[in-house]
Amino acid sequence: MPDFALSPEQESLRDMARKFARTEMAPHAAECDRTPRFPEEIYRKAYDLGLMNLNVPTEYGGTGLGLFDQCLLVEELAYGCGGMTTSVIANCLALEPILLGGSETQKQRFLTPFCSAYNFASFCLTEPSGGSDAGALKTRARRSGEEYVLDGEKCFITNAPHASLFTVFATVDPALRTRGITAFVVPRSAAGLSTGKDEEKMGHRASSTSTVRFEGVRVPVADRLGEEGEGFSLAMRTLDQTRTPIGALATGIAQAALDHAAGYALKRQSFGKPIGEHQAIQIKLANMAQAVRAARLLTWYAAWTIDRGAKGTLESSIAKCFASDAALHVADEAIQTFGGYGYMKEYPVEKLLRDAKLTQIYEGANEIQRTVIARELLRQYA
Amino acid sequence: MEIVVCLKPVPEAETRLRVASNGTTLDVEGVKFVLAGYDESALEQALLLKEAVPGSKVHAVSFGPAPRTEEVLRSAIALGADLATWIEGPSGPGADPVTAARVVAAALADVPHDLVLCGKQAGDDEAGLFPGALAETLGLPDFDSVVDLRWDAGAGRFTFLRATDAGGERWQVPVPCVIGLQQAWNDPRTAKLPNILKSRKAPIAKRAAAEVPGPASVPVGFALPPPRTGARLIDYKTPDEAAQKLVRILREEAKVFP
Ligand SMILES: Cc1cc2nc3c(=O)[nH]c(=O)nc-3n(C[C@H](O)[C@H](O)[C@H](O)COP(=O)(O)OP(=O)(O)OC[C@H]3O[C@@H](n4cnc5c(N)ncnc54)[C@H](O)[C@@H]3O)c2cc1C
Repeated sequence: MPDFALSPEQESLRDMARKFARTEMAPHAAECDRTPRFPEEIYRKAYDLGLMNLNVPTEYGGTGLGLFDQCLLVEELAYGCGGMTTSVIANCLALEPILLGGSETQKQRFLTPFCSAYNFASFCLTEPSGGSDAGALKTRARRSGEEYVLDGEKCFITNAPHASLFTVFATVDPALRTRGITAFVVPRSAAGLSTGKDEEKMGHRASSTSTVRFEGVRVPVADRLGEEGEGFSLAMRTLDQTRTPIGALATGIAQAALDHAAGYALKRQSFGKPIGEHQAIQIKLANMAQAVRAARLLTWYAAWTIDRGAKGTLESSIAKCFASDAALHVADEAIQTFGGYGYMKEYPVEKLLRDAKLTQIYEGANEIQRTVIARELLRQYA
Repeated sequence: MEIVVCLKPVPEAETRLRVASNGTTLDVEGVKFVLAGYDESALEQALLLKEAVPGSKVHAVSFGPAPRTEEVLRSAIALGADLATWIEGPSGPGADPVTAARVVAAALADVPHDLVLCGKQAGDDEAGLFPGALAETLGLPDFDSVVDLRWDAGAGRFTFLRATDAGGERWQVPVPCVIGLQQAWNDPRTAKLPNILKSRKAPIAKRAAAEVPGPASVPVGFALPPPRTGARLIDYKTPDEAAQKLVRILREEAKVFP
């Protein structure tokens, strides 16, 4: 029999993240959004509590959780603040290529010192000329003796201004398209590496996003992950792992929106009764509750599938795509439930809409997720 | 130093309590029990003392049924308790505080203790009877509403602050003793994820509850407070005006004073 009950261990992990999100993150969410501010003191606490390198095995100093447990935590954190969660979990994305494609020596060399202190890493795939078509990326890696020389620019890179380590995708030969793409690990100290100014964003404003420039950055061959040309598949395999937690992040935002809306519907009066007694509002809440639960269950299912050793491309794309669409819709309906107050920055729901929007875009835009879903689906009918 | 800290699983703060159909107990079906409030502060105090006094051990003790008692002890281990003893208790809402104190006292007969810490009252019934009853049964002195407990190595005594209406009293007390901690003065720590994972596999010593006389008290009935009605907002421009309007309402409408 499939079992939806969490183990006592999972409940205690979830309770811890819930407490952290509600006592440490949520009280600062509005201020960090408004200012905007990258709350280092909160991220440092998150690191101390083991919330930052969730996917790194304990032998390299991480927390060593499976995807399902990661998703439980990420949903709770996102309930407190979506933007902070993006920054807290970005190390998982940036370090996954090392976990999947690094040699044992590379894992020990990069992960162990990185995880032993409060550090950020950034995953550098997207470029100004395009993110969805990652195969067409332009950043060049030219071999020169026992080194590569990197030239190019990445954009929209989460935590880049604060990162000490970068996993970078570059091409040894653009004519080879995906088969030219190669992955490297580059420390912040590398000469010629620079990060741009913090972008002004619509949401996730507690997170930090910038460009990363590579101007003649020399990278030893020993810091290449896998062989030349293996980078594209490494990036895709990385995203297969990290897409599902985005579903969890979206679910957390959606749950927060539903909770705010339901609470308000019980209190706000119109025409002599709480608005929650008007059927139009009841239907909204009923639909929102369905969307939240479906998002959570699809996320759990994808995580469970991947934890059992399957690739889970179809399941994780469905989870990410559905949950992020659900989050946007639920946040929108929460604003509608609040009426005019919902549109005011003084109330928490408009931020949820702005935060939800990103989950449809990053880690593979939903158009791309649908392309993947259809491709995987049609393959089963062919 | 051997520090024992007594922990009671209590319903999560957000729980909507229901009275059981018999009217004399709470319906705890589906209620989530946690380590909370005064007991959280007591455990935090135990951990602070352990960090300050090299070679100390914190021993968490709890009396109650599965699964909540085990869960509370595992939380304590995740936070830093070195040992845990689970005294198995009957299922349902739990024993009265004096009976619980007698059972725990019996168990402490073979548990070394230089200091026994508890919340000054439980986070659920807030009875405040347990520390006194425990001390009485153990034949130890007890002190309650304590904050900032320290070990004075020179004097070989504990010192602490006791909040009073008039301010604070600084006390110096002998070893061993029972101390009931005030809550929320010491910012209880959060368990780290790796410690939560380790706590799941930590050993917990399980033992049967001793036969004790009792029950010491039996609830005759529980009732939820009547739903509140008629909250009223006073319209005002200045604090003076607000005070005048409020006094008029209290005097003329509510007739609280003539
Ligand atoms: C706040 C934020 C943080 C980010 N963090 C990171 C990070 O840490 N690392 C990183 O590498 N990237 C990061 N990204 C980049 C993100 O992954 C990309 O923005 C995303 O992949 C889309 O790429 P693009 O912006 O270039 O849009 P484009 O690829 O130009 O797409 C534009 C539109 O066209 C659609 N489209 C494109 N191709 C197709 C197609 N074949 N069929 C149908 N529709 C299509 C897209 O879905 C989209 O709607 C971040 C982005 C943001 C906004």
